[in-house]
Amino acid sequence: MSSSLKFLVVDDFSTMRRIVKNLLQELGYSDITEADDGNTALPLLKGGAFDILITDWNMPGMPGLELLKAVRADERLAKLPVLMLTAEAKREQIIEAAQAGVSGYVIKPFTAITLKEKLDKILASRAAA
Amino acid sequence: MSTTLPDPERYRAQVVALHGAMESGNALAFRHAFDELCAEMDSGLLPELKRITAKAQSALARFSAEARLDALAGLEVPDARKRLTHVVKLTDEAAHRTLDLVELCGPLVDEAARGAAQLLESRDLPQWPSRAEAFLDRTRTDADALRAHLSELLMAQGYQDITGQIIRSVIALVDELERVLGKLVQIAEGIEVTSLVRSLPTPLNWEQGLGPQVAGIANGDAVAGQDDIDALLSQMAAGK
Repeated sequence: MSSSLKFLVVDDFSTMRRIVKNLLQELGYSDITEADDGNTALPLLKGGAFDILITDWNMPGMPGLELLKAVRADERLAKLPVLMLTAEAKREQIIEAAQAGVSGYVIKPFTAITLKEKLDKILASRAAA
Repeated sequence: MSTTLPDPERYRAQVVALHGAMESGNALAFRHAFDELCAEMDSGLLPELKRITAKAQSALARFSAEARLDALAGLEVPDARKRLTHVVKLTDEAAHRTLDLVELCGPLVDEAARGAAQLLESRDLPQWPSRAEAFLDRTRTDADALRAHLSELLMAQGYQDITGQIIRSVIALVDELERVLGKLVQIAEGIEVTSLVRSLPTPLNWEQGLGPQVAGIANGDAVAGQDDIDALLSQMAAGK
């Protein structure tokens, strides 16, 4: 397992950011940056060499879907793995996220096992690409 | 249209001039007096027109406020009650889960402390090495259990995000209710209200996000859980 991967965790609730950060640390990842919405996340993404983005959907300012679209539209970020971690549960939303190029979709409330599974899957396909 | 009758005295000067011009056959004077009469009539009409317009606007504002209040009272307030009930349930569950885990962790820590104390006291006994080994073995297992409980404690705090999103949506509803009721009070007090009551950008825009699902609230076409999402995504991937 490569523990040097650089994560960006985006959620407007600081409790959720701490939960995700702690889970990632338990999984052996220590390079974790936080942002509270798409507007603060995007400059960070453009400025730093992140390996994976974990984002909420429903956030004031720029929501996660818009952030995902902005990432896919940016030539340098287009291939960045994006894991959506959200309470949004409408079928059309999940379809939209998939069409926008989301790499994984985890519904809240979630379990540590689910998060690990989706991360492993994303990282495996990233390694294969 | 107007129910108020005109005051004849108001037009006396113009009518007398008009009558005089007609009697004397002075077309120019007649035209002049006629224009004056028309101008006087127009000036009387304008305030009336303004009054009617204000009344119509006020009625429209009242209508839109009442229609919005109807929607709020009929659907959104009962929904908000369900949302808050759901919040109570989630916070109750999370608090109990947290307390359960704390109660599970306590004995593990107590046992480690007790075992360590015993071991320290029996340092000179011949069976010390085997006791120490048993203690270390047990402590390692208990530490694993503790770590698992701590992870669960961590996850149990996820309720704050979910309930926070739900409570925010209820706050938005209360804000709107306050505004609509304020408008209705203004209208009832005869204060001219011209702006229509617009609904807040209530989270109906799914691109912005709708917030967590709440049992008992119409949720349209929502997935049942993670398995449902995984199935949908792999179905889409296969269809590509």
